[in-house]
Amino acid sequence: MVSTINRTEHRILTLIIRTFGEALLTAWAAVTLTFFALRATSGDPTANLLAQGLASPQQVERLRTALFLDQPLFTQYGRFLLGLFKGDLGISFYTNRSVFLTLAEQLRPTLELGTLSVLFMFLFASMLGITAAWWHGKPAGRFASRMADVLTTLPVALVGLLFLYIFSVIRQHSTRPGGFNPYSLLLPAVVLGFSLSGGVARILKSSLREVLKKPYILAARARGLRKNGRLLWFALRPALPPAVSLSALEIAYVFSGTVVTETLFGRPGLGRLLVSSILQSDFPVAQGVITLAALFYTLTHFLARILILLIDPRLRGEP
Amino acid sequence: MNKRLVYPIIAAFLLLLSGCQEPYKEPDLVYGLTLSPTGIDPHLNASSELGIPLQSVYDTLVFRDPESGQFVSGLAESWSITDDELTYTFSLRSDVVFHDGTPLNASAVETNLDRIMDPDNHSQKALSLLGPLTDVSVDDEFTISFHLREPYGALLDALSQVYMGMASPAALEEWGAEYQFHQVGTGPYRFIEYIPDSSILLERYEAYAWAPPFIDISPNPPERIEFRFYTDPATRALALESGEVDIMGEIPVHDADRLAAEEDFDMLAVPIPGQPLQYFFNTTLSPTSDPLVREALFQGVDRSAIVETIFGTSSRVASDVLSISMQTFPASSRFAETNAELAQELLDTAGWFFDEESGFRIKDGSPLSIRIAAPTWGMNPEVCQLMRADWERLGIQVEIQVMPGFGQLKEAHESNEFHLIGINFFGTDPAFLGSFYSTDGLYNWSNVKEPELDRRLQTAARLQPDLPERSVLYAGAADSIRNQTLILPVRDYVNLVLVRHSIHGLRYSAEGWFPLLIELSIES
Amino acid sequence: MRKEMPWFALIWIILAVVGSAAAPLLTPYDPIQPAGAPLEPIGGSLLLGSDQLGRDLWTRLVYGGRATLSASFLAASITICGGIFLGLAASLIGGLLERLLLLLFNATMAVPGLLLAMLFVGGIGPGFPSVILAAGLSGIPGFARLVHSQAESVFRQPYIEAARALGAGRVWLYIFHILPNLRTELLSFGTTYLAWAFTGITTLNFLGLAGDPSIPEWGVLLNTGRSYLIQAPQLILLPGVFISLTILSIFSIGEWLSTERVTERSTNRVEIRNTQEEAL
Repeated sequence: MVSTINRTEHRILTLIIRTFGEALLTAWAAVTLTFFALRATSGDPTANLLAQGLASPQQVERLRTALFLDQPLFTQYGRFLLGLFKGDLGISFYTNRSVFLTLAEQLRPTLELGTLSVLFMFLFASMLGITAAWWHGKPAGRFASRMADVLTTLPVALVGLLFLYIFSVIRQHSTRPGGFNPYSLLLPAVVLGFSLSGGVARILKSSLREVLKKPYILAARARGLRKNGRLLWFALRPALPPAVSLSALEIAYVFSGTVVTETLFGRPGLGRLLVSSILQSDFPVAQGVITLAALFYTLTHFLARILILLIDPRLRGEP
Repeated sequence: MNKRLVYPIIAAFLLLLSGCQEPYKEPDLVYGLTLSPTGIDPHLNASSELGIPLQSVYDTLVFRDPESGQFVSGLAESWSITDDELTYTFSLRSDVVFHDGTPLNASAVETNLDRIMDPDNHSQKALSLLGPLTDVSVDDEFTISFHLREPYGALLDALSQVYMGMASPAALEEWGAEYQFHQVGTGPYRFIEYIPDSSILLERYEAYAWAPPFIDISPNPPERIEFRFYTDPATRALALESGEVDIMGEIPVHDADRLAAEEDFDMLAVPIPGQPLQYFFNTTLSPTSDPLVREALFQGVDRSAIVETIFGTSSRVASDVLSISMQTFPASSRFAETNAELAQELLDTAGWFFDEESGFRIKDGSPLSIRIAAPTWGMNPEVCQLMRADWERLGIQVEIQVMPGFGQLKEAHESNEFHLIGINFFGTDPAFLGSFYSTDGLYNWSNVKEPELDRRLQTAARLQPDLPERSVLYAGAADSIRNQTLILPVRDYVNLVLVRHSIHGLRYSAEGWFPLLIELSIES
Repeated sequence: MRKEMPWFALIWIILAVVGSAAAPLLTPYDPIQPAGAPLEPIGGSLLLGSDQLGRDLWTRLVYGGRATLSASFLAASITICGGIFLGLAASLIGGLLERLLLLLFNATMAVPGLLLAMLFVGGIGPGFPSVILAAGLSGIPGFARLVHSQAESVFRQPYIEAARALGAGRVWLYIFHILPNLRTELLSFGTTYLAWAFTGITTLNFLGLAGDPSIPEWGVLLNTGRSYLIQAPQLILLPGVFISLTILSIFSIGEWLSTERVTERSTNRVEIRNTQEEAL
């Protein structure tokens, strides 16, 4: 008995496997690049430990041997890869603690910020995109469209500073809420979500407009269906896939956004860790954060590509 | 089917993520820290920031009364000093219990001292405070003796510092290298948790019954205190105003003035004893190897203008090698007003003449060029920028390099490529000046080699603090330091602390930086 | 269909460039020397007031424009030259080298733009020159990829094939026929990457990676002015406005320069937009 797989499913499977292979290759290459970019140009990395008195000259010698710093660069690279699989990312040159632990401690605040920011990104993108498409040509629509365009170009730092200023002014003239502070997570997340929403808003707008122009919509309206919420709901569903695809890709950029946002609002997290580790020449930690970012980016892209495959019928080869 | 599952799966994932939070117990008080130290083990690390929480976690053998400056009993009820001043014997209290239930006794103190003095542990500060201590010996269960190689007037001062806080030997044994994350002392607060660069948690230790005499225990002290990090000065006022933080120091002057004017906040200006914000001249690198150039650089900087611009009226211009709050020296200033014209003359005399073309002073074909290594904290970068502006008007080329860590400052010194390095230590006894100005001092960053200075510092360190000869010797040393222009001091440290109006009783220890948290009460 | 010319954007860019070049003529003070009391408000003896150390804000803004604009042009040049070289080389040489280069491009793009630049700054060490170099280098992979795909599509054109059939050498073809044909696209990509260089440099300096906080540069001004948000908002609002105007102008000009090509595959458009999104 010959088992037959549906031709479409076979194609999907092949695509998934190929995408996974590409992702793996890209991840490996990114990690390699990170390693060589930091190691190859720096001087003696253990100098800082010695200078701080965290280790005696003898201990530093032993450390250098243990870290294979005497070995040629390629041997170090091999060890680094091996360590990566075991979850050993080395020791911080600044605090002498495990890099893995340092990253783990700072992961949670960044994850909180990132997740909430993504939710806000969806919220703002929907608001802007739908407004721009629904009231296309009218002032509200033009404003939303213009705002979306502007958001794709402005750096997160500027948007953040602007929000900070506006809220400082508001706070100056209002009574202060006691107790729990909404600004520690809310404002940074709003800022980041808002900054990232431009691209998705634009795609949503053009995709929704296309749907609204479709013959069956126009026909329904001619039959008396009014331009109201129900029509929007019907039009939205086929319009969503391209927007969702793009937002899945955009999620990867949340990471670079958190670097600026955490610094601006003084929040702890991986972004702030990266800035301070670069300023302090703490290469293992910087390397750890960037490796994590690269792996996260590759993973998100991979999942996004799968998602696109699943929800966008055009790419599956169906009519 | 595929399409319908996708959105619910995403939603479920997000819910799971948010559900992963542990229940967060709200602290009664949040204190803002402004430096993220590389480590917070009091025996091994040197940052003053660690003392802010840990002052309340540990007790020391003796304490210094913040008002009178005298030494009072702590874990030791009484002490005696032999006539030759080589042995100090302490009688410990018998009722003290560590947070983990183990008793404090002489053997515990011995374990602590062994740990500090073990060379493999690389104690960055505690060890250097102990000076010529050779060892300690247990006389009986609650009596311990400290043996010195030579007389040392600053031993009691050393033993009063948080870096000599007594830790539970059981905890030291159990946690080894990870001890800083599981600290156990005898103080009014228990150490719960430390997440680097994020937070430190303390909880009230109810059984605390051996506070030093000057402590005024509050009837309702905070139960749970959290410390959060605000290393970026721009975020500190924001944190106070938004209610995220209740107390924080090192608030920039204009923010402090603005917040103090509001009824929600009170401000304390706490002077910090120790060295002023200063820069060491490298006396072995040209052109600062020329004393005329050093003096010219000193005269060329308008220190009052700098202090007023950056620190407002809260700070004084530094007048001596130690801050005036220490009262070590007479009130008149060694580092008095400066004169830019004098600076010009000195440079001319030294052979550096103004070259119209390049805009700089030239000698033997090369321009007068200075490199400064500046720490990122304490507004050092701003001070350096203004110093540079002053010096460029004199025709000096200046490069500033900002160093984010103590290790980098040390490297800067060892590289011998910098003409000025900014560093200052805090402390309540002048004896630590020896590390900075002796020929083989650990922090002799001006590379000075003067036997007379060494002699004065060494002799002074031996004497007991209340002897007038000691002040005379230190005054002589300070004269020498001034005459050779080994340093450029800028301002006496004043910590501007903002505290929420509903919090009462905030007082700082004799060392300046460390709050006495057990005295706080919160009005509800 | 070309859009109408973005007059405001062009005027602003010209103003900014000319103003920066003529900085010493336009400003009465030295950007590093204090000119008055600190935090003087707008409209006093100093036109726009002074910053926290008493330096004239107008002077620092003009010199800041000089630093930021010249740094951005320099970084963009690095990106464009490097990108053209690698992109064309990949297409020209083909084979294993092409696949390796493409892999390298994809790999470097797996690290988001800002982080990639920070990686380079980390390797070289903090400082304004490294910020410029890092911003320039981090744009090369994306630009090279664009150049490569455009070169490939031009290469497939019939007249190129005809020329090859007549015996024209590949290198000669690439330099004298393919490259000139990419002029419009390169101009358009170039402006996008100029905007990215600009954003990258101001953001990196905002994060403090330039090392010296006294440098008059718009990103540095944003960073140092943050502490005075309430007392003197003009310290960050003015550089912020200048930065926004410049970026928006660059993008407007870039959009005007690009001819809209209709492509069959919608994913192509997503890719080009992605490179614009990376500007964040």
